Amino acid sequence: MMRSSAVSLALGYVALGIAALVLFAAPLWYAWQVTIQEGRSEILQADAQRLTDVYRRDGAEGLKDFIDTRVRIQIAGDRILLLTDATLRPLAGNLPVWPSGVPAVSGNYTIKVAVGDHGVQEALVHVAHLGSYNLLVGRDNTLFAPLQSHFWYGLTAAIAVLTIAGLLVGLITRRALMTRVNSIRQTVSAIIHGDLKHRLPTHVNEDELNTLSRTINGMLEQIELLVHGVRNVSNSIAHDLRTPLAELRSRLEELALIRPPPEEAYAEIDGAVADVDRVIRIFDALLRLAEIDAGMRRSGFVSFDMSDLAANAVEFYEPAAELKNIELVFRSGAPLSVSGDPVLLAQALSNLIDNALKYAPVNGAIEVSVRKRGDDTAEVSVSDNGPGIADSEKGKVVERFYRGDASRGTPGVGLGLSLVQAVAKLHGRVLELSDRNPGLSVTLCIPLEAAGATAIATAPQSADGAGVIVPATVVPS
Amino acid sequence: MKILLVEDNERVSQFVVKGLQEAGHTTDHAANGRDGMFLAASEPYDVIIMDRMLPGDIDGLAIIEVLRKAGKRTPILILSALSEVDDRIRGLRSGGDDYLTKPFAFGELLARLDGLHRRAQGINTEMPLTVGDLHMDPLTRKVSRGARPITLQPREFKLLEYLMRHAGQVVTRTMLLENVWDYHFDPQTNVVDVHISKLRQKIDAEFERPLLRTVRNAGYTVTADD
Repeated sequence: MMRSSAVSLALGYVALGIAALVLFAAPLWYAWQVTIQEGRSEILQADAQRLTDVYRRDGAEGLKDFIDTRVRIQIAGDRILLLTDATLRPLAGNLPVWPSGVPAVSGNYTIKVAVGDHGVQEALVHVAHLGSYNLLVGRDNTLFAPLQSHFWYGLTAAIAVLTIAGLLVGLITRRALMTRVNSIRQTVSAIIHGDLKHRLPTHVNEDELNTLSRTINGMLEQIELLVHGVRNVSNSIAHDLRTPLAELRSRLEELALIRPPPEEAYAEIDGAVADVDRVIRIFDALLRLAEIDAGMRRSGFVSFDMSDLAANAVEFYEPAAELKNIELVFRSGAPLSVSGDPVLLAQALSNLIDNALKYAPVNGAIEVSVRKRGDDTAEVSVSDNGPGIADSEKGKVVERFYRGDASRGTPGVGLGLSLVQAVAKLHGRVLELSDRNPGLSVTLCIPLEAAGATAIATAPQSADGAGVIVPATVVPS
Repeated sequence: MKILLVEDNERVSQFVVKGLQEAGHTTDHAANGRDGMFLAASEPYDVIIMDRMLPGDIDGLAIIEVLRKAGKRTPILILSALSEVDDRIRGLRSGGDDYLTKPFAFGELLARLDGLHRRAQGINTEMPLTVGDLHMDPLTRKVSRGARPITLQPREFKLLEYLMRHAGQVVTRTMLLENVWDYHFDPQTNVVDVHISKLRQKIDAEFERPLLRTVRNAGYTVTADD
């Protein structure tokens, strides 16, 4: 138990509390003692003075009567009066004998004496000489004793309460902490054993553990997403590479088996090389994606004019569009300086235009536009009037190797939009797919040059319009 | 050309040496970094093909750095299985002149070697270019075939200029993408072919002898020879 941080912390606070109490009480006690002592001496001196005045006025007999009267009417036994002659023989007062241990010298003394029915008490006495007489006045200290004991009781009780409460709070905190730590530990060990679905319990209130739990949950979210992605990709790779490899294998086996005439054999070999090229192409695309996903290319960010890059891409595809009699329109305003990776953005844009060219009908139209959105984003849209993508498929098309119904029979390996998505993510922005009825509009957002530095750290912005937003980043808040 | 191949993989070496021999080049082969370094430093080569990862303690990039520090200016083509952009940049920074990722098509390798060799011989970018009766003046940007002037779009001009500078030599689609459009990725379509056919329309269509020819499984070449 002593190794619990909560209990040690509580004990520390208890010690601190006791120290504070003592530090507070000690000077108070001292000041009190001094004040009382001085006050009493003053009172005794005043008493002595009054009696001295009586003696001066009425002589020894007068004083004797005065004292006798006082002793007689005195109800509480808290006062001590004694008048003796030079041999210390009592003449008047409420003490039977001169107390032993008190010299017949004027001054203040503390003695133990029994007065009336109060028993032996501690008392402060003052001795004065009046001619040949000795006068002793005093008051016992019982008056202040309850106060003193209250003070000590109070202090002790405070320390006791502090200690017990401290330990109790420490133990309760430890229990609560252990409960939460245990639940975290259980969740984590479930995750260690491979079940990534678990999340740490979180509460509404934002304490430290909760904040930590939330952050860890965000991390788990991302890890699950990645693992899921990897699993998907591995399955897809297995499937998509198997097809060309199977073709290649049968081609080569057939060649070895049939041993056709050279001319035919050469054609088959060319086909085999093309099969291998397809496999290599898929590998290259996957490697590129992995490279982008790992965020390794962020170091290669430079600032460049997005309009210029888009214009070049449009120009590159112009002849291909002409061939299909598709009108390829480019719209852009002033140059837009963005911060990003020009090679990847060119590839992403070229994928988008290439897709549009694939799906736009003959005599169709494709529009590529570069615009500024808000203060920090440039958006590049590629819109076609092809079949579009059903809402239910919009989330899937960016998945690796996913090929929609419309893409059956067209060349491609189903990695194009995944790459565009990954590029958007690398730039800390989103990829939006929206309907044009008919057709599809794909918008790729990238940070403007000035916003580039902060873009990476911020979450994707929600876009206006009815488009489906494919979140490019999962940023734990 | 006299070529040095530094490559440890036996199959790849065999394939490359044989191919280069058939293309009429003399090739020396070193299977490890030590031999490669020795040969590269002592023999005069026109081009060196350097595998990036070699067995033993000396890798390809280290050899290139040593050669460059020693003042050897022989053009070097780096061969590597590492395809990431950063790897490529590192390779070129170490002193390599071109970078080719494994696996590669032999035609691509040959075309790039030719390109490197020519670049090393030095070309005057302002000199008018002539292939057969096709003329191009890079300064005035005028193109003509025989007596007839040909009007080209800026990008078409750049494409033809690149082809003419490599006249008689095979130029691959990848080389065109990299040098004419500055695209260092595979657009996965035949867009380059479409550009070539447009260019062909302008320079060859109405002439008996085509100058811009397709080389099967490799790329294109501009030549006046048969």
